[in-house]
Amino acid sequence: MSKRKNEDMNVRNTATKEYGKKVTVRVQKVKKSHIKQKLVFFTVLAVCLVILAVFSDHLCPYDPYAQDLSSALQAPSLAHPMGTDTYGRDMLSRVISGARASIFSTFILVAVISIFGTIVGVGCGYYGGIMDSVMMRISDVCLAFPGLVFAMAIAAILGGGIQNAIIALAVISWPKYSRIARSQTLALKNEPYIHAAILSGDSSLQIMLRHVFPNMLGPVLVTAMLDIGTMMMELAGLSFLGLGAQIPMAEWGSMMSSGRSMIQTYPWVVLSPGIAIFVSVVIFNLLGDTVRDYLDPKNREAF
Amino acid sequence: MKAKKILAMALAVGMTLGLTGVPTFADDKKTFVFGDTTFNAENEEADINPQNTYAGWACIRYGVGETLFRYSDTMEIEPWIAKEYENIDELTWKITLNDGVVFSNGRACDGEAVKECLEALVANHERAAGDLCIDTIEADGNTITIKTTEPKPALINYLSDPYGCIIDTQAGITDNGIVIGTGPYVATDLVTDDHLTLVKNENYWNGDVNVDEITVRTISDGDTLAFALQAGEINAAYGMAYASYPIFENEDFTFSSTATSRAFYAWMNFESPVTSDPAVRKAIAMGIDKESFVSVLLKGYGYPAVGAFPDTFSFGGQNLTTESYDPDGAKQVLEDAGWVDTDGDGIREKDGQKLVIRWLTYPSRQELPLLAESAQATLKEIGMDVQVNCTSDNNTIRKDPTLWDVYASAMVTAPTGDPQYFFTSCALDSSVSNNGHYHSDKLEELAAQMENEFDVDKRAELGIQMQQTVLDDNAYVFCSHLRMSMIMQSNVTGLVAHPCDYYELTADLDIN
Amino acid sequence: MRKYVIKRILQLIPILFAITFLSYGMMRIAGSDVVTQKMENTGGVVSEETLDAAREQLGLDKPFLTQYFVWLGKLLRGNMGNSYVSGFPVFDTFVSKLPATLLLTVTSILLTIVISIPLGILSAVKQNTVVDYLIRLCSFIGNSLPNFFVSLLLMYFLAIRLRIFPVIAKDVSLKSVAIPAITLAIAMSAKYLRQVRATVLDELSKDYVAGAKARGVKFSVTLWKSIMKAALVTIITLLMLSVGNLLGGTAIVESIFMWDGVGKMAVDAISMRDYPIIQAYVMWMAIIYVLVNLLTDLSYRFLDPRIRLGGVKQ
Repeated sequence: MSKRKNEDMNVRNTATKEYGKKVTVRVQKVKKSHIKQKLVFFTVLAVCLVILAVFSDHLCPYDPYAQDLSSALQAPSLAHPMGTDTYGRDMLSRVISGARASIFSTFILVAVISIFGTIVGVGCGYYGGIMDSVMMRISDVCLAFPGLVFAMAIAAILGGGIQNAIIALAVISWPKYSRIARSQTLALKNEPYIHAAILSGDSSLQIMLRHVFPNMLGPVLVTAMLDIGTMMMELAGLSFLGLGAQIPMAEWGSMMSSGRSMIQTYPWVVLSPGIAIFVSVVIFNLLGDTVRDYLDPKNREAF
Repeated sequence: MKAKKILAMALAVGMTLGLTGVPTFADDKKTFVFGDTTFNAENEEADINPQNTYAGWACIRYGVGETLFRYSDTMEIEPWIAKEYENIDELTWKITLNDGVVFSNGRACDGEAVKECLEALVANHERAAGDLCIDTIEADGNTITIKTTEPKPALINYLSDPYGCIIDTQAGITDNGIVIGTGPYVATDLVTDDHLTLVKNENYWNGDVNVDEITVRTISDGDTLAFALQAGEINAAYGMAYASYPIFENEDFTFSSTATSRAFYAWMNFESPVTSDPAVRKAIAMGIDKESFVSVLLKGYGYPAVGAFPDTFSFGGQNLTTESYDPDGAKQVLEDAGWVDTDGDGIREKDGQKLVIRWLTYPSRQELPLLAESAQATLKEIGMDVQVNCTSDNNTIRKDPTLWDVYASAMVTAPTGDPQYFFTSCALDSSVSNNGHYHSDKLEELAAQMENEFDVDKRAELGIQMQQTVLDDNAYVFCSHLRMSMIMQSNVTGLVAHPCDYYELTADLDIN
Repeated sequence: MRKYVIKRILQLIPILFAITFLSYGMMRIAGSDVVTQKMENTGGVVSEETLDAAREQLGLDKPFLTQYFVWLGKLLRGNMGNSYVSGFPVFDTFVSKLPATLLLTVTSILLTIVISIPLGILSAVKQNTVVDYLIRLCSFIGNSLPNFFVSLLLMYFLAIRLRIFPVIAKDVSLKSVAIPAITLAIAMSAKYLRQVRATVLDELSKDYVAGAKARGVKFSVTLWKSIMKAALVTIITLLMLSVGNLLGGTAIVESIFMWDGVGKMAVDAISMRDYPIIQAYVMWMAIIYVLVNLLTDLSYRFLDPRIRLGGVKQ
């Protein structure tokens, strides 16, 4: 059956190519180089953010933890471009210093869940059987287990703090990746070239490494990129519930939630970290979009 | 084009969805909405049944129930349902009720009714039974005679606790915890953690009631509370976040504030290798900037504390002396005791032990994290590394003295207006909460004297001596007292903050 | 097919067992309990004997496993117990919170559909024009603001400045649900809008669109008859997952707006260690997830016939 389907697809592909060959090729070439430019641009922006996070200690104009109650809650000025917070700490320094905590913790979280989730998903999808059922039930339990209960329990067992917030979010979010990877693997498994590889005597591990994982890279990478924004906000949400970063750590989510009562009175305290979150989420989302467009097989087909 | 039409339709649908709410009609009834952050099951105020844990607070605050005696603004006992009391002997008290007190259902609140209520209270309420030690109660017309099993100098104070609200036990308690009291308002509807509806008590025995209908709304989020007051959805608010205060500091709103006996203070751990050193404790006491904490972080809505009780009490802080904020002096104290920064990292050491203070506290009181963070900074100045552990699990952690050095908490130190409570619960060898294992021979001796002292003035004098003993040992650092504030629209009158935090909605409440 | 569905529903049983056990265990390890939690909140100090008596009354003094099985045994007899905090029956409490959560779920989903589908299609049809960029910018903004922040802004503008909607819910009504529903819809629409746009773009590049055009079929007809259909399938799959989340009550939004639903109930219960309520909440979440996952798997099969249910046997 799959053979016939493959033939059908070939017929359709050639048909498309003949149908509007000259025009589409040119348009898509332009689009492709445009995407490449965008990709470079957003990568540069993302790298800038990461550099900011790495060198945050050297870039802060003030000590982000030095309190000066006599200059508390000052509006933005030349001396303090983003104003000062309740404790008289310089907001700009805290936002810069917070880049490390916020960006790195999100990176670690997304890396852990995407790698672990994908491995589990591919394994389950490929082998099927009992392992699949068991792992999928475990992932069901993780998904069905309310994230909030889990995060609060983790915070109570291990204490609050950003590491524990990461653990809590990781445990409840990996199944998403394993589900993507599993369904992709299930679809791939019926592809003729996998059957061919099985017939030619490749071991399961070889097949997974050579044929399944490379195919998984695109969707997983794109999902992970787009997840960076979501996870950054999830961490902020946990901070809102008091389960995230501990005082006096500068972290955007907790800065925002601790300053939220000041939105009417001292808006810079909440807007500065808010804008920082917004800008980084936008950069990573745009980068994710561009990577997806770049990896999209429909674009590749044109070449 | 069609897309646009759809869009327009979508918007229209959205608008109608939003606008088809039920409009509220104004009538000539006086209604009042009160937003409160603490009226919830979390604070053990699931309903308004005074015999159910701490729900008596809601019963008395919202004007449903009244106690036999009440506290004056200086926390002295005043008559309320009862006219007077007589201490016949160490174990016998005779209480005379006012004439003409009636429950909101019309039943007379006489000696018999009070007897029934108190008997039910002792049977149902775990704290009341232990506090009151009631042996027998006899009712005769408008007088009752209470015999206790042991001498109870503070019996009248305990009867003024919110659990002592007199309710009509014959009328019973509804499934959702509504009781019949003698107060100016009658509860008609109650949903735990959401709202309580009250109407005017037409039979009120003690004057006229101005407001016809009151809704008490539970609003646990501070920002929502601020927005609701701004939008005019509530007429007054209790428990506003300090950061929101400036929004209301204008002519549209009024504040009613008072000092309460809720104290924010740090307990020293005497088992810890660092805080067992008197020099370290003294330096901590000198290194916390109470004035700035109150004036900047609490926006002036608090009082720097000296002792356990605020100045409004006769045994308050005005009678005491303790360390004041003096970073240089603190450095000298540490220096003299051998705590020196040898490795130049800004943190002092002694015998290889770093001066690290593990500061345990919890987030449910908004002032405590503020205190922790400000102490962290000022103590760093004098060479201490304060590591804050702000967790709701503090009560488990503090039982293990190896896990913390300083425990910052917020406690009502004199809920009954009497000084004994604080010491018996925190500072004595027998105190259950003395997790830092503080011990003072002098304090034990004074406590034993207070145990059998019936004279109010002498009790106050003992209370002063006991506080001074604790302060001399720097066993506790009292940072501030809560200045409890209610914020209301400027047309609200008769809503006044009271030092004991029990009385909020009274018959005086009016809205013009 | 029917066998498969029954099998999946039967799988609910071990999941429920695992989840309730896990949550009981975790709350237990987390230390503290309802008795100490209450004491702390009221700021009073109570003797250890009083606390122990209170624990004994609730059965909290018994070993963990005993507590769990006592609870389980009662559950099997149809008794979910009483809340440790309020003393009311758990089942009644839970059922009384459901309508609010259901209303919030339905309105925010409707709003999401109403916002994301037209805008997503518009954005795709007008690809790379100002309209497209504007819509995408809005979706980015919606996507990168934390929920609690959006709710603050909405409260400020809609309730304080414009005074259209109330800040706090007075009752379970459409007017009261407005701001919380908009808060949730903004985040969801931002996400869905992108998906709809991608799906429609995908469809637009397909041959049948060009074919229809060549045959002289009006573009709007193609749009509504075929493209819309494709977009709906995507949306429905996504929505099912969101419905699951929403039915579990969105803790943050419900707490902020004093929306008396399941999510707020859960936050309150967790902070008080009110085990019976937590268990009810956890079970509710498990049931929703299993059903939603089942529906999702079925729809995968419907969307991509290459996937066979229950994994492929070699």
